[in-house]
Amino acid sequence: MDELLAVVGYKVRSSDMAEVAQKLEQLEEAMGNARDGISQLSNDTVHFNPADISNWLETMINNLDRAFEDSSSSDYDLKAIAGKAIYTTAARVKPSPAESSSSTRPLVLVDSQENGIRLVHTLMACAEAVHQNNLSLAEALVKQIGFLAVSQVGAMRKVATYFAEALARRIYGLYPENPIHHSFSDMLQIHFYETCPYLKFAHFTANQAILEAFQGKNRVHVIDFSMNQGMQWPALMQALALRPGGPPAFRLTGIGPPAADNSDHLQEVGWKLAQLAETIHVEFEYRGFVANSLADLDASMLELRPSETEAVAVNSVFELHKLLARPGAVEKVLSVVRQIRPEIVTVVEQEANHNGPGFLDRFTESLHYYSTMFDSLEGSVNSQDKVMSEVYLGKQICNVVACEGVDRVERHETLGQWRTRFGSAGFTPVHLGSNAFKQASMLLALFAGGDGYRVEENNGCLMLGWHTRPLIATSAWQLATKSVVAH
Amino acid sequence: MRTKSSITEKRIEEHSFLCLSSSKTIKNRVHQHTPCSTVFAMKRPISRDGDGNGDLLKMKKVKVDGDANAEENCVLRGMRYFDDNVLFEVLKHVDARTLAMASCVNKQWHKTAQDERLWELICTKQWANTGCGEEQLRSVVLALGGFRRLHSLYLRPLSKPYSSSSSSSSSSPTSSSVWGPISQAAVAPRPKPLPPRLGKDAVHLSLSLLSIRFYEKMSNFNNRTR
Repeated sequence: MDELLAVVGYKVRSSDMAEVAQKLEQLEEAMGNARDGISQLSNDTVHFNPADISNWLETMINNLDRAFEDSSSSDYDLKAIAGKAIYTTAARVKPSPAESSSSTRPLVLVDSQENGIRLVHTLMACAEAVHQNNLSLAEALVKQIGFLAVSQVGAMRKVATYFAEALARRIYGLYPENPIHHSFSDMLQIHFYETCPYLKFAHFTANQAILEAFQGKNRVHVIDFSMNQGMQWPALMQALALRPGGPPAFRLTGIGPPAADNSDHLQEVGWKLAQLAETIHVEFEYRGFVANSLADLDASMLELRPSETEAVAVNSVFELHKLLARPGAVEKVLSVVRQIRPEIVTVVEQEANHNGPGFLDRFTESLHYYSTMFDSLEGSVNSQDKVMSEVYLGKQICNVVACEGVDRVERHETLGQWRTRFGSAGFTPVHLGSNAFKQASMLLALFAGGDGYRVEENNGCLMLGWHTRPLIATSAWQLATKSVVAH
Repeated sequence: MRTKSSITEKRIEEHSFLCLSSSKTIKNRVHQHTPCSTVFAMKRPISRDGDGNGDLLKMKKVKVDGDANAEENCVLRGMRYFDDNVLFEVLKHVDARTLAMASCVNKQWHKTAQDERLWELICTKQWANTGCGEEQLRSVVLALGGFRRLHSLYLRPLSKPYSSSSSSSSSSPTSSSVWGPISQAAVAPRPKPLPPRLGKDAVHLSLSLLSIRFYEKMSNFNNRTR
C-alpha cells in the first residue's frame, strides 16, 4: 500500500499507482466532456468502498462512458486529433521505473514530446474549425489545447497558451478592448526593449541610415511616427554631437496616439530629450503631435521649413502595418511622406505575412512567427522583463487571431510586400551600409541571453532573426527623383 | 575635480624630472607605453638614490608575468606614500587592467585612479581616429557618464572577443554572413596583451549605448519598476 495516500485515507497499491493516475485523468476528461452533466454519477451510481480508489474510478468511468456514448454524435468527433490522444485506454501514461522499486513517491511520466506534436495538431485543427465556422468543434478543441499546453514547458507552453486564449476569444466573441491602455503598453514595450535586441537593432540600423543621409547638413529634422519613449533618439543625438565639425541643429517631431489618462506624455518625452540635448550641447527643438492614426496627418501640420535650410528624415518602427487595417490609409500616409520631401525614410517592420485573406493561413504563419520569437526570449536573464515581453507579444497574438476588420491592427507584411508598396508609391531603396551591419552584429555579440540571433543582409536591407528565421527587417527609402541628384 | 593648476603641473614635471634622474634612457622609457611592472621596477633604483642603471637593465629583463606581479606587489607597497600628482603621472602609462587594480589599493590610489583623464587616455589609446576633436569628444562623453564607465561597460566587453590584432573584416554586401560570437574562436591567452585597437563601429556602438544608458537613468522611466 502506498504510504502517503494511506495517510489521507485511501488505499492504493504502489504498483497500481500509474493505472490509478491514468484512470483519474480519463475520468477528469470524461467529466469535462460529459454533455448531459454528471448528476447521474451522484444519483444513480452505486459506489462501494471509496477508499479503494482504483475500483471507485472504474465504476465512475464506466458510468460516465455509458452516458457519454449515448449522447456522442458525429460533430463531436475528437478522433480528428492524431493518435486518439484522450479517449483510448492505450497507455499514454508511462509508469516510471521508480514505481516498481520501493519508492513511495509515485512518478507519472507523460510523454511531452508526443503531446507537443498533439498540441500543434490540435491548434491547427482548432484554427481550421474556426475557419470553417464549426464553432462547437472549435470549442472542444480549445479546451484540449489547454490540457495539452500544461504538459509542455518553456516557450511552447506559453505560445500555446496565448494562442489558445486568442482562439477562445474568437470563438466566444470576447474581443479584447482596443486600444489598450497606453501607459500599460508603453511599459510593456520598455520591458521588451530591455529583454531582447529587436528594438535596439531597429533603432541602431535606422539611426545609421539617418546619420548618413544627414551628412553635411546643418539643420536636420526627424519626424518620428513611433515616438513612444523616444529611446531611439539619444543615440542619434550623441552621434550628431560627435560629428566632425560639430553637431547640426536638431529638430524632432514626435507623433503618437493619445494617452488614456490624458497626460501629455509626448511632451514629457520631449522634455527629457531636451535635457539630454542640453547636456551634450546640441541645439534641439521638439514638437509632439497626438494623432489617433497616422492617416490623420497632413504635411501642413508639420510646419516644414524649406528643404534648402532643413533636411528631413521620416522614421517608422512597427507603425506602418497598423495602417493596413483601413483601406487607403497607407497610400495616404505615403503621399504625405512624399510631400514632406524627406532625405530618407527609415522603416522597420516585422518580417512575416500576417495579413493574408484566409484566417487559417494567418494563423499558421503567426504560430510559427511567435513560436520563434518566444524561443528567442527564453534565454533572457531577467524574469520580470521576460514575462512582460511575453505579455507584449501575447497582445499582438491576440490581435492577429481574435480581431477582424478595423480592430485587427497587427497586419504584418513581409519586406517583399513593403518593397512593392514603396516602389509603387514613388520611392527607391537606399542601401544600408556595412557599418550598420557591423554595429548590429556587435550589438548582438554583446547582448547576453542568446547567441541564436543572426543579422542578415537582404538586398540593401538588414534583417534580424533567430537562427534561420528572420523576424524583423529594416529598410530605407528615398524619393524616386532624388536618386538622379548627385550628392 | 579639475583642481590641478598649471603651477602644479610644472611642479610635477620638475619633481618627476628629479626623481627620474638625469639619464635620458630612463626618461624615454617612462614616456613610452610600458606595462606597470617595468615602470615600478625602474622607479626602485631611483628612490634608492643611486645610479641604478645597471640594476635598471637587469630589472627590465624581468618580464615574466608571475615574477612581475610579485615584484609589483612589493614595489607597490613602497609606492603608497607617493604624492597625488606623481601617482597621477605614473598611472598615465599603465593599461586598463592595471589602472582598475590600482584603484583598489587604498583611498588615495582610488581617488587618483578614478580620474576621468586617465580613463580618457586609456580609451583614446584603444581606438582609431573617430574624426571629431578631442574637446568635443571629451565634453560629450563626460556629460553622458564618463570614460571610465564607457570603458568598463562597453569598450572592454567589445574588445574581448577580438584576438589581439584587430579583426574587423569588412562584410561583403551580397553574402548573408553570420557574425556569430567570435569569442568562441580559440585565442591563445598571451601574457599582458596590448589592448586591441577598436574599429570605428565598435566605438560608435559603445558611445551610443552609453547615451542610451544615460537617457534611461534620467528621471526613472514612468511605470518601470526595477
